Amino acid sequence: MLIDVHAHCRGPIDGADDPWGQDRELVERMKAGGIDIAVVSNLSTPRPSTVEGFQKCNRDMLAALKEFRGFYWGWAYVNPGYALEAIADIDRCLEADEDCIGVKLYNEYHICDPAARQVLGHCEKHDIPILLHAGHSHVNRAAQPNISDAGHIVKASREFPEAKIICGHIGGGGDWEWEIKTLRDASPATAADISGSVTDEGLVEYSIRHIGADRLFFATDNQVHTGVGKFRSAKMSDEDREKIASKNFLRYIGRDA
Amino acid sequence: MIFDCNAYLGNFFSRQIRNNTAPELLAVMDENEIDRAVVGSLSAIMYRNCQMGNEELAAEIADYRDRLVPFAVINPAYADWEYDLDWCVNEMGIRGVRAYPQYHSYGVLDPCCKELVQACGERKLPVTFFGRQEDYRQSHQKVDAPDLALNDLAQLCSEFPQVNFMILEAIGHGASRFVTEADTLPKNSYIEFSRGGVDELVSALGVERVIFGTGIPMKYPGPAFVCMELLEASDEVKQQIFGENLAKLLEV
Repeated sequence: MLIDVHAHCRGPIDGADDPWGQDRELVERMKAGGIDIAVVSNLSTPRPSTVEGFQKCNRDMLAALKEFRGFYWGWAYVNPGYALEAIADIDRCLEADEDCIGVKLYNEYHICDPAARQVLGHCEKHDIPILLHAGHSHVNRAAQPNISDAGHIVKASREFPEAKIICGHIGGGGDWEWEIKTLRDASPATAADISGSVTDEGLVEYSIRHIGADRLFFATDNQVHTGVGKFRSAKMSDEDREKIASKNFLRYIGRDA
Repeated sequence: MIFDCNAYLGNFFSRQIRNNTAPELLAVMDENEIDRAVVGSLSAIMYRNCQMGNEELAAEIADYRDRLVPFAVINPAYADWEYDLDWCVNEMGIRGVRAYPQYHSYGVLDPCCKELVQACGERKLPVTFFGRQEDYRQSHQKVDAPDLALNDLAQLCSEFPQVNFMILEAIGHGASRFVTEADTLPKNSYIEFSRGGVDELVSALGVERVIFGTGIPMKYPGPAFVCMELLEASDEVKQQIFGENLAKLLEV
């Protein structure tokens, strides 16, 4: 079983001949690449997101779970700066569909920012995993001034040691060696996914060496060729491959496929 | 036959590269059923004098010429590059050139770059450009080498219709002139797709100018193979892309 823990649905497109056309195309491509389940969030709103923006994203995400039942699982995307509304929408999504299994945070705030505390505390208290958009770039930092990196995750995990924070796309563009080395200091509850456009040889093996095979998840961030390709090429034991493919994630979220 | 247009030997300045000797690279090729590969020196990219990297490459592959096809890294902004180019042609038997404007501080449309292209054309050598050698966001702290602009490369190709170009490691073909003006640009650009977009390249350029490359040993070979798996095309078309197009271009 191959579970893509970091993916994005488009949701229904108003006025299109086939409102689900883009998602259908993605699902077909993922299935052709051998993926059995994709855990998706919907980020199709201007960011930083307003309350109305992330609520709309999540309605579309929930609709996508119904449309592609069994293939899509979901992340509820929120802007943690609107703490009360964010928590309410997280709870609404998790109650609405059992295939919605956690929270997606983007780059509105660093994960260790006080503005994110309430959402982080809520997720820790209720054992809700968080997939975090992350990266450590040496250039163009102004483009995403509040993107979190592994250092921010370490800081947040010290305050919320049981919070299940997944460092998104280790290969998402940025200094992945810095990310991996830094993540060693995060709490054992944290994890990372291997997605992203960067397919540097050794990236997955270095992650296994320093983060550990038990805390890594397969993912594509919608780039099937890079995600599947790097996972196939990376050298690891059969046992570790099974863990990263799906076993770790199923254990992490406490459910069977 | 699988003929990889995008392979390397040597060291890269910003991170460790494994399997970067000729025997090790051949082992990676065997594991992935790659028959032949175009190789260039990674070390040459950041040597002030690229030629020493080319000479290292020549020695490294001497016993493996049946499977490793050398390209020389040439910096047209450095001293006596034409002498080096001729040495690489005559002594090393190169079948093409790799140019790195982003690391050698000249522009794709600068006079020195055009002189290099002209010189390669006179020697019947294709010229290779890399959209990126590594993701800009993980640049070394002391190196600023943003991606090349694909439209600048398309312009260069249009100005030298008699020269063949290989465009590797590029992202964003779909919005570039290579695709949007494919009908009017000269048919002298061959584009590799390890970073995606093979289907749109085949649609726009035609199958004859799409070439297979992996980036080994810098990159995992898997993504390029997955691109081929996901491409809806006949076995005949895939064979062209996997190797026949490149073999024809390089006449090997």
